Amino acid sequence: MARDVTIPVDVGPAEIAQERKAPTPAQRDVVFDIDGLTVSYGSTTAISRVDLDVYRNLITAVIGPSGCGKSTFIRCLNRMNDLVPGARIDGQVLYRGQDLYADGVDPVEVRRRIGMVFQRANPFPKSIYDNVAWGPRVLGMKKDLDGRIERALTDAALWDEVKDRLKKSALSLSGGQQQRLCIARAIAIEPEVLLLDEPASALDPIATSAIEDLMHELKKEYTLVIVTHNMQQAARVADLTAFFSLEVGESKRTGVLVEYDTTDKIFTNPSDQRTEDYVTGRFG
Amino acid sequence: MRTTFQDELALLEATLQEEGALVLRALRGAINALEQRDEELADEVIAFDDDVDERYVRIEEGIQLLLARQTPVATDLRLVLAILHINLHLERMADYCVTIAKLSKLVPEVDPGPRFVEGFEEMGSRCEEMIRIALDSFGNRDLEGAESLVDLDELVDRANRRVVARILELGGDPEMREYGLRMVVVSRALERIGDHAVDIGEQTAYLLTAEFREFTDASHPSPREA
Repeated sequence: MARDVTIPVDVGPAEIAQERKAPTPAQRDVVFDIDGLTVSYGSTTAISRVDLDVYRNLITAVIGPSGCGKSTFIRCLNRMNDLVPGARIDGQVLYRGQDLYADGVDPVEVRRRIGMVFQRANPFPKSIYDNVAWGPRVLGMKKDLDGRIERALTDAALWDEVKDRLKKSALSLSGGQQQRLCIARAIAIEPEVLLLDEPASALDPIATSAIEDLMHELKKEYTLVIVTHNMQQAARVADLTAFFSLEVGESKRTGVLVEYDTTDKIFTNPSDQRTEDYVTGRFG
Repeated sequence: MRTTFQDELALLEATLQEEGALVLRALRGAINALEQRDEELADEVIAFDDDVDERYVRIEEGIQLLLARQTPVATDLRLVLAILHINLHLERMADYCVTIAKLSKLVPEVDPGPRFVEGFEEMGSRCEEMIRIALDSFGNRDLEGAESLVDLDELVDRANRRVVARILELGGDPEMREYGLRMVVVSRALERIGDHAVDIGEQTAYLLTAEFREFTDASHPSPREA
């Protein structure tokens, strides 16, 4: 049921329509086809039986109360949970038809195609240039490195602010600039998908708004999935929104996908009472 | 749970119901002033319109603050938008009552016969009923009640047509003609009050179903009208 998602259509005035532009049929590719995804840490089930499709060149937001498994979910999409001892993944995560957890799939290659930006900006204590150059160098993308770095920084809306001090330490940048640098670092290796885990929660409103504007730009080229506890952020940026909640059983609390629909629907007329209670602030 | 927000929203809705009660009082006053040629009562209706306006402004300001500070979504958002619209409809109704009160003072001393008064009494009490149903069905979140307003409005529209037909029969005496002209406007004001009550019903339907739709649409008549 949660997977019956209609692609957003233009309903608003011209400006909104432009921002929330409905994808052309050619763009309605399913990037991730997630089936019955269950993640456990030891005896604890973090998320249970999640079915969800992620579409190309759209922004999909994942919202929900603390502990509902949002981060666990997004980390399954590029096998970041492999790094957690005791984590067990059941169900299927198909990326362009390929099972990410099949034997022989190289997690490093997965993470090259599916980049991730974290809550806390984590630049290396190196120059701005070296931070962005790191990925391409490791992957042997040495051709026209300067051009690649300029493109990544331009796409991350940071180029104009740093072009005269590329050799300065990345740590001299502001929090918002550091976060955009991390986005530049992620897109320098030309991934297909960008996963963003609370990318703006440590930023002030101006830096947050810069990141949100950037997301609108980035979705032209990338598929974005963002985890956010800021519902208004989801309402502002996402085309589709997935609401996760906690199912409380006997001595157990498990994250479940409650509702997945267009952001417009989730924030004006959600189908599930639990979604309604969460987005209106009556719960969570 | 956002207690403050829910309290503020409940207060706005209570103020809206209060405004509705004032509109009902204004309408009854305007009809009585017209029927009994009571200038004093007419002046009272005109003066008490300030009470309605005061609620109207208070609700507008309250909604402005809620939108700016609380970012309502889902049912809360629909309730806020419905209150915003209903507030305007009620304020317009009160203005029509003032129009009727003013016209009741302007008419020349002629006697058009009791049928006229009866016609306005019928329209007036039908409008009162519609306003009551509009407010109650909104308050009780009653979709069926809200939708029933369409049929009631049809009765007001018919009464309006009857009044207009009677006006045409008033003859050519200049004072009678002036009286008739003024009464066309009164009849039209009552007819519009009925329309606004239907509009309030549409807001109730929107609140409950999340769909924007007009109960009736002149350019696309419903099967019942066709």
